[in-house]
Amino acid sequence: MRPNDRKYTKTHEWVKLAGEDAVIGITDFAVQELCSGNEGDLVYCDLPEPGRVVTAGETFGEIESVKAVADLNAPVSGTVSEINVSVEEHLEVLSRDPWNSGWLIKVKPDSRVLDGENLMDAASYEAFIAASKH
Amino acid sequence: MQPASPPGVARERWRLLTTWGGEPGWNMALDEALLASADPQPVLRFYTWEPAALSLGYFQRWAALAPRAAGLVVVRRFSGGGAIHHADELTFSLAAPATHALFRGEVRRSYVRVHALLAAALARHGIAATLRGAARVRSDLGATGMCFHESTELDLVWDGAKGVGSAQRRSGGRVLHHGSIKLGRTALEQGVAVVRERAPTVTAEGLAVELAREFAHGLGLALEPGAVRAEEQEFARGRADFYRSEAFVRRR
Repeated sequence: MRPNDRKYTKTHEWVKLAGEDAVIGITDFAVQELCSGNEGDLVYCDLPEPGRVVTAGETFGEIESVKAVADLNAPVSGTVSEINVSVEEHLEVLSRDPWNSGWLIKVKPDSRVLDGENLMDAASYEAFIAASKH
Repeated sequence: MQPASPPGVARERWRLLTTWGGEPGWNMALDEALLASADPQPVLRFYTWEPAALSLGYFQRWAALAPRAAGLVVVRRFSGGGAIHHADELTFSLAAPATHALFRGEVRRSYVRVHALLAAALARHGIAATLRGAARVRSDLGATGMCFHESTELDLVWDGAKGVGSAQRRSGGRVLHHGSIKLGRTALEQGVAVVRERAPTVTAEGLAVELAREFAHGLGLALEPGAVRAEEQEFARGRADFYRSEAFVRRR
């Protein structure tokens, strides 16, 4: 079971509230799809500058594995307050710990409630993944 | 590979586009239009470039490729990977929802599926293309920044060298798969495997027919040849300059 202290998107990002911020990352499933367990396959990641406004459902960055460039989509709307610069240099952390040290950006969210239509709890996300495999 | 649809079952219908001699910026812009399309019907597109051009992968650094770009039109692709000299080759793109059976699941699996179809078509020309696997290939020159000079286990190789360049972009729930099959060797891509060494008379148009046949047979498809739609053409014409622009080509 994936962490139930956060919400998930159909495009495999997660978001959780921490103090004033909403912390955003990508799930283990997204990492697995991109690099099939080969952590060295993740090669580039572009994250937005602090201060940029992001909109729920829209692209806030991009990640490249050896074989694909994929969009990173914002689970919530808000203003970027901090980015995890160490991830850009050490993408292997996304394979090892996507839930904590592999966070990507923090935003000051427009809403303090994670109830967007695009967001799922852990159980719903598990079911969504199970269905997408068929 | 067996057809995906048994007799009596309706075959999936894909659009088939061929655009020969496309201007480089327009070529990339049309692929973006296909990627961003709201139409879920998959598209298989074959094309060539006029003039020949150098395309950079989305994340590549311009400074590393600039010495190779002299005298060439340069574009940056929306897809990843290394640079490609689009001269004497057949280029193809596939655009479809990420949930399509061809692309569903791990990215590497989608490469295995696409490359199986390419290998079957190349086999008709006497080319024994296989996934590289753990083998070493002589085209891995390293550090040139060129796609064909670096290989992965999933790349298609024959005669001990890489012969197909591949890259994907995944965006908005859709996938754009780029493929480049070398017909002849170029100065920037020494040491690669080329189709004409095994099939001296092959043309881009002829190979496209073979590939289309293999996609149709292997996936059980009905490929419907058609034209670029008016809205796609309008987008591509308006966007072509962006792909050649310094702002995009030299963004990194």
